[in-house]
Amino acid sequence: MRNLTPGRVVRNVVVVALGLIWLLPTYLLIVNAAVSNDSYSGTARWFPGSFALWDNIEAGWRAADFTDTARNSLLYAGVCAAAAVLIATLAAFALVVMPVRRKALWFWLIYAGTLLPLQVFARPLFLAASTTNLYDTPWGLGIVYVAICIPFAMFVVRNYLTTLPPEVTESARIDGAGWLRLFWSIHVPLSRSAMAAAFVFQFVYIWNELFFGITLSLSPEVQPVMAALAGLQGNFSAVGQPAVLAAALVVSLPTVALFFGFQKFFVTSLKSNI
Amino acid sequence: MTVRAAASRAAFLFPAVGCVAVVLLTPFAITFYRSFFGEGIAPEFTGLANYAQMFRDPILVRSLVNTLIWVVGSLVLPVGLGLAIAAMTNATRWGRWARLAVVLPYAISGSAVAVVGAFMLQTNGAVNQLLTAAGLDSLTAQWLLLWPQNTISAILLSTWQSTGVAVVLFLVGLQTVPVETIEAAALDGADGWKRFRHVTFPQLRAVTVVVVGITLANALRAFDVIWVLTQGGPARSSETLALSMYRETFLLQDAGQGSAIAVVLTIVVVGASWIYLRSNLRSSR
Repeated sequence: MRNLTPGRVVRNVVVVALGLIWLLPTYLLIVNAAVSNDSYSGTARWFPGSFALWDNIEAGWRAADFTDTARNSLLYAGVCAAAAVLIATLAAFALVVMPVRRKALWFWLIYAGTLLPLQVFARPLFLAASTTNLYDTPWGLGIVYVAICIPFAMFVVRNYLTTLPPEVTESARIDGAGWLRLFWSIHVPLSRSAMAAAFVFQFVYIWNELFFGITLSLSPEVQPVMAALAGLQGNFSAVGQPAVLAAALVVSLPTVALFFGFQKFFVTSLKSNI
Repeated sequence: MTVRAAASRAAFLFPAVGCVAVVLLTPFAITFYRSFFGEGIAPEFTGLANYAQMFRDPILVRSLVNTLIWVVGSLVLPVGLGLAIAAMTNATRWGRWARLAVVLPYAISGSAVAVVGAFMLQTNGAVNQLLTAAGLDSLTAQWLLLWPQNTISAILLSTWQSTGVAVVLFLVGLQTVPVETIEAAALDGADGWKRFRHVTFPQLRAVTVVVVGITLANALRAFDVIWVLTQGGPARSSETLALSMYRETFLLQDAGQGSAIAVVLTIVVVGASWIYLRSNLRSSR
């Protein structure tokens, strides 16, 4: 234990203060999501009182149709993230391992998708979905989610593939392995962790997505869970503040759990930017 | 043989290129084209009128100003705080617990963050309670009802959510600073702050560029926090370009104006991303 200089004391106090400030909203969320609606006075409670968390969750869950919308989001996040990572890995394999010409062009063509803001795609996609009868269907929303997730997933997997020694490919080619065999039996197993990192990252992204949820869908049978939460906040007087907070708490649990379970993967995804 | 080889390459590339081209790039081109036309079903070519309107309509000017406030706010807050927190917690053993508290909200969606924010920032909410209890009545405010407090509130919420990313990235950067460099500086008598300022910080240049780029691009795209917090209101006073585009296009049915806003937003976002892409490509080539 080194001696405590004044500088060190100040630093420790600042760190503790920042930590507490950051925890405060989460603390208030949990405390007030547990207050029973009858005893909620309209202003924030600072200390736990009555415990009605389960009732509030139930009320919020029913009002926001979470049974349908959470199932939808689970489906979108799971299936679309998996499809996007597979498609992105195929492209990353072609860009790194195969003798493709004009690699930079293809890379930028795909990567451009993640640079552009979502708003610039919205209206043409809305019109296209309306004319093809895909508006307010899981397919319309699903296709858009897959496409949005491909660029960054490609980026993460590509960055990993470039770190593999070229001998891996060369020796297998000499043995006469075709591209598809090479892909499935060598590069996919080797880049499993990068693919998993991209999957977890995109899963969380889709689960948390709101913008296309409200532009491309309307009915609870199709809407993702964040659109339902936004709708609940829009008329929260109907169910009361504690129920709305309980709903926000519940929809956050899956991604928070994923985040703590797979912290390493998030860091991998973020690190590929450096 | 060469035809087959070309076909197999295409088979690997095509799904990704096809999806991105059809679902993302084509709509982008259509939006760009549409931004030069007026409203309605058979719109007339109006040149740059929609763009000029963005600097004339007080609501859209406010939206531009708010977007600029977001840019400045997210440069100062998540980036500055992220660097400070990463550096301070990296030095202490128990610092990882404080870090966990800061990184946690990153996993929470913008919509849920805004629900908590609306609850804390309403006029009789927790923030004003806290200020009153601390004897700072003069600082209490109608956080969500007046401009510019509502924009600042949204930025603070977004800071709460996104500082974790900056912390994680800066930490990665800090851990790549060679221990010998720091020890050498310590032997030369450079203590705490001096050592950080002159030895550690210059080594974080590459990471800083990436953090600035990512934070800016995310801040400019922010939709869900503002939409759920205030819907851009009251009277459209907390809208940024991302929200103005949504309102003009889908609620006011002015597709030309909405498209022009989307294009301007794209230019700003791509410009902000460019600063970090440049350094990124240099290091990966």
